[in-house]
Amino acid sequence: MGNKQTIFTDEQLDAYQDCTFFTRKEILRLHGRYHELAPHLVPMDYTNEPDVTIPLALIVSMPELNENPFRNRIVESFSEDGAGNLSFNDFVDMFSVLSETAPRELKAIYAFKIYDFNVDNFLCKEDLEKTLNKLTREELSPEEVTLVCEKAIEEADLDGDSKLSFADFENMITRAPDFLSTFHIRI
Amino acid sequence: MVTPTPGMMEPGGRGVGPTFSSSQEGSSTATTMPRRECPGAGGRRGAGGDRDSIPMGLLPPRSESPRWQQHDLNHSGYQIDQATHYDTTPPVRLPSATAGHVSMRFRGSRKMSLFPVGEAALGNLGLSEDDIRNEMENEEQILVKELVAMSTRDRIKAIRDLPMSFDDKKHIRGQVLALKSFKKSRQLNCFSDCSTSFSLAFRRCGANMTSARQTLELWRGTMKEVGGKFGTGVLSYFKFLKWLLMFNIFSFLVNFGFITIPQLIYHPTPDIPTGVSFKGLEILTGAGYFSHTVMYYGGYSNKTQGTGGWPEYNMQLAYFLTIAAYMVLCGAALIYSMASSFRKKYVLADSGLGGAWQLLCSWDFSVTNERAVRQRKNNLRIQLKESLSEKVQVALLPLTERLKHYGVFLGTWLLSTGMALGCGASVYFLCQYDKSRTRQSADKASGSLLEEAATLLLPFVVSLINLVVPLFYSLFKKIEHYSNPRMQVYAIIVRNVILKMSILGILCYYWMKDVANTFSCWESIVGQALYRLVIVDFLFIMLGSFFGEFLSNVIGTKCIQSLGVPEFDVARNVLDLIYAQTLAWIGIYFSPLLPVIQIIKFFILFYLKKVSLTQNCQPPRRAGRAAQMQTIFIAILFFPSFVGALSMVAYTVWTLPPSDKCGPFRGLNTTFSAIQIWMDDLNRVDAFQWTVWIYQHVIRSEIFYFLVSLIILVFIYIFRQITQGRKLLIILLRQQIVNEGKDKAFLLEKLQTLQKSKQNKQKNKKQVRKRQEKESTGMLQALLARQRLEQEHGDSSSSFGVPMPSGHSVSTTSSAMMQAMLAKQYAEDQDVASYRGVPFPADPAPASSSALIQAMQARQRAESQNEDEFYRAPVQSQNPVNALPSAMIQVMQARQRAESEQEEDEFYREPVHSEHPVSSMSSAMMQVMQARQRAEEEESEFYRAPASSQHPDASGTGSALIQAMLARQQVEEEYGDRY
Repeated sequence: MGNKQTIFTDEQLDAYQDCTFFTRKEILRLHGRYHELAPHLVPMDYTNEPDVTIPLALIVSMPELNENPFRNRIVESFSEDGAGNLSFNDFVDMFSVLSETAPRELKAIYAFKIYDFNVDNFLCKEDLEKTLNKLTREELSPEEVTLVCEKAIEEADLDGDSKLSFADFENMITRAPDFLSTFHIRI
Repeated sequence: MVTPTPGMMEPGGRGVGPTFSSSQEGSSTATTMPRRECPGAGGRRGAGGDRDSIPMGLLPPRSESPRWQQHDLNHSGYQIDQATHYDTTPPVRLPSATAGHVSMRFRGSRKMSLFPVGEAALGNLGLSEDDIRNEMENEEQILVKELVAMSTRDRIKAIRDLPMSFDDKKHIRGQVLALKSFKKSRQLNCFSDCSTSFSLAFRRCGANMTSARQTLELWRGTMKEVGGKFGTGVLSYFKFLKWLLMFNIFSFLVNFGFITIPQLIYHPTPDIPTGVSFKGLEILTGAGYFSHTVMYYGGYSNKTQGTGGWPEYNMQLAYFLTIAAYMVLCGAALIYSMASSFRKKYVLADSGLGGAWQLLCSWDFSVTNERAVRQRKNNLRIQLKESLSEKVQVALLPLTERLKHYGVFLGTWLLSTGMALGCGASVYFLCQYDKSRTRQSADKASGSLLEEAATLLLPFVVSLINLVVPLFYSLFKKIEHYSNPRMQVYAIIVRNVILKMSILGILCYYWMKDVANTFSCWESIVGQALYRLVIVDFLFIMLGSFFGEFLSNVIGTKCIQSLGVPEFDVARNVLDLIYAQTLAWIGIYFSPLLPVIQIIKFFILFYLKKVSLTQNCQPPRRAGRAAQMQTIFIAILFFPSFVGALSMVAYTVWTLPPSDKCGPFRGLNTTFSAIQIWMDDLNRVDAFQWTVWIYQHVIRSEIFYFLVSLIILVFIYIFRQITQGRKLLIILLRQQIVNEGKDKAFLLEKLQTLQKSKQNKQKNKKQVRKRQEKESTGMLQALLARQRLEQEHGDSSSSFGVPMPSGHSVSTTSSAMMQAMLAKQYAEDQDVASYRGVPFPADPAPASSSALIQAMQARQRAESQNEDEFYRAPVQSQNPVNALPSAMIQVMQARQRAESEQEEDEFYREPVHSEHPVSSMSSAMMQVMQARQRAEEEESEFYRAPASSQHPDASGTGSALIQAMLARQQVEEEYGDRY
């Protein structure tokens, strides 16, 4: 890295490159962004893998996430402790899945997690209602919300259990070609 | 430290940790129950016996514990989800993925499902920590082994695609690398050492190259900004623009490097006749001074360069081969991107998903602008409302109304096609006029400014048509009423394409028929005409964005508020780009440096459009389907545009005589004769005989092309048949899923009636029977059931060796499973039922343990009763258990999924068949087990939520019961997984 301060060792960068969809330059850029979020918490030197996490409130203040209606869910889905605290590795994970090159299956898994508000491994009506309210600023009447959600379930539910399992969800995703490009956050 | 479930190793870590460690403790101290005396009920008993060892405090009700919930999300929950669903997904993925990859993935996911649950289950069964670790490592080793067996590239891809956190991936990767290096070190030799370090260095170098490429990536920040403000749809325009820019940069490099530089080296100064000087207007017209430079075909010499110490360089061949290679490469790139785009974005797309799609897939995560987000939400709301109202009034339109619609369609299509043809005709007459005028001015050879400016008339008119007529077309949407807004967009696109292509077709016809026979240096004339078209088109695009976007913004915001801020019309703008690129492709032969102009044009256009967009436009109202549109645009770029340009150039090269007095091919009959001459030269050298042979027998032989096209046709036909077959298959499978759903509903109904009758009988029996006896017979029954089930399972899995497994064996297995489930379900119901008498404990901890013991006993009792009764199937009575239906649904669903997977498996993997059926069978089993566990989860949830319960007694059972249920569920989950 020449005259620059060493942030990661070459081995670390290799590991990041092999396990995520980022190049080393992007990893370094991500580290910069991560460092920016909490300069007093995050050290510049990551060669000894410090155990640092950044709380959800700081993460969602990133301009990339700030306006996203699902920002809290996204961060929670990727945080190892579940409460939304992200270590740098989680942070990299998050943007790796949301990067352009991540495959559809991987994206689908995490999208499912994000939409599964009550974490029951199904997208039930309740989840869809929450999603809808987040997407429409809660301006639809309760009847309309119910109607829309019922319709959505009816459309996508293949096995007739009136909630969407991951299989249903993935089936829907494969038929929605835009998903790959829209489930994507540029960093 | 890093293990796939780090929580287990870190005290107080994530979720699973506490459960595991404390159950360990419990099983080593408190439990005395017989364990693992038999695989069936005994195991369950053992698990039940361990219930008291599970500290209740660590398993709080889910609704009150976000932490646990989160954990669930992150580890076990997510992983269960993984396993349950992953195993079902291969059918979707199979056609595209290699079998090995799938099995790896499958295993990876299964491993993940087993870990968090399996470890605790083992703990409860009294296994030592070492055993558990072994178990975990076994699973991991299998995954690692599979990864080691892959090539480096595949392995990295597989690791990246694993749905785990980075730490887990890193751990796996570390293991794989360690194993690899271990293997290597055993064959200690210098070569392997070198190759390792070499491959590492190579990979790092490759990674550096990618980084460097990313640094060079144009407009990353701008793209992000546009995407953030306007979403993916608008961004696709800019991506398309950038992509075309790359094409042009490539073509410029090729042409400049192989044609222009040699020409400039040998003839540094162009032969400009006296009296011609640079006046400035040439930049617009491309005539005059430019016509004698290397800008056009005419500026190149036909000599074989190489006198005076320079190496030989045959200009004719260079010119011909460069253009040909460029065209071929362009075509290949287009076909490749078109095919991959079709495969990724179009194949499975259908319009059947409205609401669900809008809800779950339409949100654009890349939008980061606050205003854009607000607008998007508004639009979505309006669309949802619209779709709701559409649902209400689906009534078919009356016949007269429909006839009117068809009439309007017919009228608009006739009008638009007529207009396109009219424009083509007018362009042709203008061309004739232009020709006579050019001939006169050529005779006079005066070259006044006015005459030069007059050459701009034709491109001006053409561009004006291209600007105005599409605007006129867009008015059609006021009178047309397409049911689907996408149809409308397609209609507009098709009309515009017809218009543009008819104009270009007429122009090409004019150039090849009239210009080629009239003028002495006709290639340069055509090149100039194309140059003018490109330049004037650029001016009009600028004007268009001024009038189309800026003015309508001003009008919309200042004068007529109802019009509103204009939207960025992606389709129209992309079609403009396609038109511009077609011109550049046609011009590549006549003006090799035209790509320079095109590069400058696109570069300016990018910034212009960006400014115009951010200043004047609002995000499009209808989001989505951008990917499909992109595919269509690439297809249009390929089909009429590139193919048209290619055929034009090919016709020129093969049949038209090149001009006598200028250009590299002067004096030849056709351009292609250059190759003939070259071959004749080569013929004299023995070493190149093979080239001549290829030329004569392949390139010039009709039979070769005939055979090639025949083979291609056959392939197309075969692939078409395969596609048809797959489509049919998809329909069948869908139908099957629906049928299974019906099946399930029917069975559910049956179950409910059965249950109702059973409940009554049970009440009677309870008082009569002796408990001991019941227990033993019950055990026996359970064992029997389990045994039977396993036998059947074995049978069916062995019968899967035949290529098309009978659905029968599956269904017997699953019916056995179902019965087992059913039995268990009953048992659990009973459990609750017998618990209703337990009073609400004041102090939960001690009470719960005693309650647990009671619960256990009661359950065993209940189980025995139930299974007994179930198999005898007597007439029974009422039991208001509401959790059962959902549980059954789960089981059914799992079964059906498993079955469908089986089917798909067979269909898609026929050749690689041998080992898979068994594994898929076991996966089916797993599915069922997992479904059961999920069912149990739900059941317990049901009990945990008194508010939603329809049980009158549920609220009375108290927290001890709830905890007991929870604990039991946990244990059984684990047990199930282990099984």
